[in-house]
Amino acid sequence: MIHVLRAGRWLVITLAVLVSLFPFYWMLRTAVSTADEVFFDGISLIPASFDWSNFARAWTEANLGQAILIGSVMTLSILALQLITCIPAAYVLAKVRMRGKGVALAIVIGCLLVPGQVSLIPIFIGINSIGLADSLPGLVLPYMTSAFGIFLLRQQMMAIPDSLMDAARTDGLGHFRTLRNVVVPMAAPGIAAFSVFSVFTHWNDYMWPLLIARSPDLATPPLALALFQQADAGFDYSALAAGAAIVTAPVIVLFLIAQKRFVQGMSGAEIPG
Amino acid sequence: MTTLLRDEKIVIAARLPAQPLRRSRTNLVPALFLLPAGIGIGTFVIVPAVLSLAASFFSVPLTGGAWTWVGLANYEHVLTDAAVLQAIGNTLVYSVITIVPSLGIGLCLALLANSVARGRAFVRTALFLPMTANLVAMAVVFRWLFAFQGGFINQVLGFAGFGAVNWLGDTSTSLLTLAMVGVWRSASFSMMIFFAGLATVPGTIHEATRAEGIRGWTKLTRITLPIMKPTVVFATVVAVLGSIQVFDTVNVMTQGGPQGASETILTMTWKLGFGYFDLGAASALSFLLLVVLVGIGLIQRRVLAGGHK
Repeated sequence: MIHVLRAGRWLVITLAVLVSLFPFYWMLRTAVSTADEVFFDGISLIPASFDWSNFARAWTEANLGQAILIGSVMTLSILALQLITCIPAAYVLAKVRMRGKGVALAIVIGCLLVPGQVSLIPIFIGINSIGLADSLPGLVLPYMTSAFGIFLLRQQMMAIPDSLMDAARTDGLGHFRTLRNVVVPMAAPGIAAFSVFSVFTHWNDYMWPLLIARSPDLATPPLALALFQQADAGFDYSALAAGAAIVTAPVIVLFLIAQKRFVQGMSGAEIPG
Repeated sequence: MTTLLRDEKIVIAARLPAQPLRRSRTNLVPALFLLPAGIGIGTFVIVPAVLSLAASFFSVPLTGGAWTWVGLANYEHVLTDAAVLQAIGNTLVYSVITIVPSLGIGLCLALLANSVARGRAFVRTALFLPMTANLVAMAVVFRWLFAFQGGFINQVLGFAGFGAVNWLGDTSTSLLTLAMVGVWRSASFSMMIFFAGLATVPGTIHEATRAEGIRGWTKLTRITLPIMKPTVVFATVVAVLGSIQVFDTVNVMTQGGPQGASETILTMTWKLGFGYFDLGAASALSFLLLVVLVGIGLIQRRVLAGGHK
């Protein structure tokens, strides 16, 4: 009986792992195959030939080099702005006594309830009216701060003992140096978890770049891939698969490196976005 | 989950002697610390939410220029337009057939992966991958897997002696196909949340249940799940919010077609705003969705708060 259960468990897990991984395998399998093989030998799990030219075709035709540059600049700019805006705010909400703090915290928690995507149309109307549509600042600015980030970092900073804050004050440290020398190092795991989360969210974001980036030069990696599919490559599945592999590889590598932090960030999450 | 953490902290805080928080002589520096975040939240969360309510009562030209007051006409439009109603219906169907399997599979896999001794890291990583990959890239791959001609799924069906199905091109299957991709993605997400939640169940609970001879289904439904209630609620809310806001896969795989059969609320909002240049109607639909989503968030808070009193 135990053996049957154990075998059943492994069967379910093996099946789940196969279903999870198969699309990735098929992406790579298609990406190295010639068009002929893709259409006429589709069921063969092992490619008969390796044709690396698909990657080159995807890279040039979808303009992925430019897209990865734009995507990296956008993602890192957003991260930098979010850290600059969220860390000091989280510190004040966690460790400084001041009037109006309760209201500020209530606003942050209220904002967690507003999902990002439904506000995109009014944000677009605003960004468009100040002439930032179709520009890099237009891609970045709406995400300059993150209520989720403030909340997550505040939770982390609450755990820092107040005695440490008192010691810093006794040593004559002002707010700025307390933040830099005491709070930031102690909240580092939370900051790392949030950073990974932010990079994932914005590298993978599709809807906002689709709205705001009108010229192809400003396309982020997912947008460039989608445009490539809609343009002329709709049935060039080898190149599309190669492009998909190029676009998704950086996040998967990042995930493999930062898996622990990422899961940690998720488990501490309220409503991401 | 955070509620759990927060409560733990309240308990810990209650045990410590009361210590005054840092009080500044002037509030100038803390106020400056709050300012950048305040500007960001004000400009890009609060103002847009208010603006989306305001714009829903006007006719808004996409090119800029004067807004014209139209009262409730936009709401009347979106709530009587057959295409919009179809999109709302599709979104509800998609949500139901995505959320239930995602949560069920996610919980099962989290329990199974948690009990595996050998190869645990590999199993976990493999099962987490669907939710980390770029969704647009995976949608491109799934569009190929489900392609009518040459797609892997139809090749396998042909091999087994079945006819080819036009998965994405047939009104009766396009939404279902998107939902299958949705389950692939969000079961992985649910699993990650449950997995993190299972780690919070204290080891003493496992010992106690073993000593009492409580096992299997009884242990799961009477002990583990009640302890993990915040996680269960969180996973449910994440699944609900994710499926109601489905956009990327639809936009890449079907563009809402054929004949609107896989149109969802967000793709419809998109079409209203940027296909028909009717930003007022798009705002009205956005605002209705916002009210629903905020409502779900508030219910989550209520459920969690009730569970801890």
